[in-house]
Amino acid sequence: MKKSLLGALFLAALGAALAYVPMDYYTEGILMLLCINMIAAMGVSLLTGFTGIFTLGHAAYMAMGAYTAAILIMNYDVPWLPSVLAGGVLAAALAWVVGVPTMKLTGDYYAIASLGLCEAIRLVIENWQSVTRGARGIPGIDPYTTRAVAVWFFVILALFMFNLIYSRWGRYFRACRDDVTAASLLGFNTPSIRLVSLLISAFYCGIAGALLGGYLSFIQPAMFDMMKSTELTSLVVFGGLGSMSGTLLATGIITLITELFRPISQYRMLIYGAVLVMVMVLRPDGLLGSREIWEFRRRRAGAGKEESR
Amino acid sequence: MNAPILEILNINKSFGGVHAVKDVSFKIEQGELAGLIGPNGAGKTTVFNLITNVYPIDSGDIIFDGLSTIRLKSYQVIRRGIARTFQNLRLFGKSTVLDNVMTAAQVHHTYGFTESITHLGRWRRREEIARRRSMEFLERVGLAGRAAQTAGTLPYGMQRRLEIARALALEPILLLLDEPAAGMNPEEVADLNKLITGIHRDLELTILVIEHHMDLIMQICPHIVCVNFGAKIAEGGPDDIRKNPEVLKAYLGDDEEAI
Amino acid sequence: MATFLQQVVNGLSLGSVYALIAVGYSLVYSILLFSNFAHGGFLVVGGYAAYGMLNSMGMNIWAAGAGAIMAAGVVAIVTERMAYRPIRERTSATLYLLIASMGVSIVIENVFVVTIGGRYRALPEVFPSQPIVLAAREAGEAALRFFPGAAEGLTPLLTISAFDLISLGVTVVFLLLLQMFLMRTRWGLAIRAAACDLRTAGLMGVNVNLLIAIVFFVAGALAAVGGIFLATRYTLYPQLGNMITTKAFVAAVIGGLGSLPGAVIGGILLGLAEMLTAGFISSQMRDFVVFALLIATLIIKPSGLFGRDIRDKV
Repeated sequence: MKKSLLGALFLAALGAALAYVPMDYYTEGILMLLCINMIAAMGVSLLTGFTGIFTLGHAAYMAMGAYTAAILIMNYDVPWLPSVLAGGVLAAALAWVVGVPTMKLTGDYYAIASLGLCEAIRLVIENWQSVTRGARGIPGIDPYTTRAVAVWFFVILALFMFNLIYSRWGRYFRACRDDVTAASLLGFNTPSIRLVSLLISAFYCGIAGALLGGYLSFIQPAMFDMMKSTELTSLVVFGGLGSMSGTLLATGIITLITELFRPISQYRMLIYGAVLVMVMVLRPDGLLGSREIWEFRRRRAGAGKEESR
Repeated sequence: MNAPILEILNINKSFGGVHAVKDVSFKIEQGELAGLIGPNGAGKTTVFNLITNVYPIDSGDIIFDGLSTIRLKSYQVIRRGIARTFQNLRLFGKSTVLDNVMTAAQVHHTYGFTESITHLGRWRRREEIARRRSMEFLERVGLAGRAAQTAGTLPYGMQRRLEIARALALEPILLLLDEPAAGMNPEEVADLNKLITGIHRDLELTILVIEHHMDLIMQICPHIVCVNFGAKIAEGGPDDIRKNPEVLKAYLGDDEEAI
Repeated sequence: MATFLQQVVNGLSLGSVYALIAVGYSLVYSILLFSNFAHGGFLVVGGYAAYGMLNSMGMNIWAAGAGAIMAAGVVAIVTERMAYRPIRERTSATLYLLIASMGVSIVIENVFVVTIGGRYRALPEVFPSQPIVLAAREAGEAALRFFPGAAEGLTPLLTISAFDLISLGVTVVFLLLLQMFLMRTRWGLAIRAAACDLRTAGLMGVNVNLLIAIVFFVAGALAAVGGIFLATRYTLYPQLGNMITTKAFVAAVIGGLGSLPGAVIGGILLGLAEMLTAGFISSQMRDFVVFALLIATLIIKPSGLFGRDIRDKV
């Protein structure tokens, strides 16, 4: 149980270091992008890795968050912090609309609905020009995402996420993932649990989208397309379905590689696709499987300390 | 006499053309250890599925603890106080042994959402209590030493016992065991006998056991219901069942397994 | 009224192509119980194969069509063998198959982007496209004339382009062929049995791996035919598969996942809905109405019109 406290302190120390240590502009940029991607990836990880629901359109929630924040800030003079939070909340509200009918069905239905959602959101953004300025996007957003903002948002959201999966909710989600029939015959309202997972994951993506807008000072629908959605899912699969630290590790690796290997960016999608297939066929566990980095000592057959998540 | 905790009243269920459960009725008193037997395919598991509303009933009624359950959703029936195990094991294979049991145990030691994400408040205490209770159940089934092992890697017999521990952790009023002895050798069956009678005695549960092996049921259940082809063909104590010609025909009829 | 009927006609034509694609997808779903997101990839392979054969090799449409079918069918079989079979043999959870199929879809699409390039290509004009007048009215007369010969002095009310007519016809032919295959041949019977219970079909002596290969070939073939028509209608580009397959999936859901008649009806309904929306509301709302129909289906009757209740055996 002390692990919780240790974990929280570690994250806080890490946050303080990353937020305030002097660094050059370029490194800072990568760090901020990393934080934003990690927040979104944690959201997708919760839904796909921990609750077993495949999603193909999570970028739609990022779009929802980004546009909500941008519109509130620029058209209604709302301060950035409540706008970002509102972005997360509205993304969750959108997820609720799609989730209520689909969470009681098998995973295929949500996957298809999420595809449709991504498209539908793009259409709405492109056509509701009076509010969203269409496909050209919204430029000139006040750059409220400073390094400290990105890092602290990440630290706090990561803390909440890890605590969540190490709580009764983590067990609920994993039960729904591993055997939804058994879960409901333990008295769990499985559609409800899956919906909660979806709402939280959408909230995280909404926040990430809003922070992205504040980082780039500019948003447009093309930033939240299938490529982004696929990228998020690939990160989670690559890191290991059921490992939050695996997701973060994978995000770090892939983001860095993408930045460092800009020249091959046209092959990026091809590589994401290939990663998905190859991981599933050759090493479905991805990097860490369903264990966290600090759990590699357990799983020996036979006697062992009582350990539980 | 105790009031009946479970009343099965003229239940019927068909799947397409197959009339799987035909007008079955019986009552289980509170605190009983009862058996539901019959050859393979007789409809026993279907009865369990109807009790827990995995399938909706076609007609009839099921009354548990005084209230009808047929209009409830599965999870609502369970919350009323029923727990079950499965013919084809349904463990959470990727989780640890302890986690499997805690998933059930935590139902009684809960805490709020804010406490979940901050690990403050009641989180630590309740988790501790749930863990302790879970270990007690694991002790009872003899798996305490394997608490940290991945459930899917356990030998088959232990997986079955784990499922029982998980069901017990729900602290139910009625425990439904679906073919708990499946795939066990005689030694393991003897241990299972002891386990079930121990649970019945110590925890004062009502238990209904499905088996198509007669030995287990005959030894431990004073009240037995026998079904064949979906219909009830006999009900009574072990001696009545043993001598019942219908039962003998069902099991031996076309030179099937001996009793 | 005339606009209404006109859009109905257009809708039937578009819907028939959706039906073709949705049927292939539903066929795979009914056997393996997972959504093959790479289905769009098969479509694109068919389209590019036809394009290549028509252009570079100067074949006629029949040969090119056959070639496209073969190409897409083979790609489908290879995909199944290399990507899905290893996963299927390892686990019965469909999540891994879903993810892998998405990966395959992206790989196929981007292989074309990277090698041939993503620009829009028009298929050579192999289909006649002149409008055929279905109903017209003579000036001053109230009565309608159906299928008038020459349209001299007549006001056309209802037309269908020859292309639409052909695509409708071809779709019907292929659906009938599929129907005959499923109902009258041994493999068709095996497929229908497998759709009920794959494992039992295997235990009854059906060569499951061969059956799955056949099913994938058929799905690929149907997708290729649909792909050729769609490529002619919308021009050919690597991402053509995406939007179309999303719509085909929606059509399959509306009709009921795993039901072939459902896929056909769903496809036609979707085509009608799209065209009527485009005609009476706006063209942009076309795609939106697809999504709205999906949500409506999921709320009202998630198993779709003819859907099976796929329940876990407990």
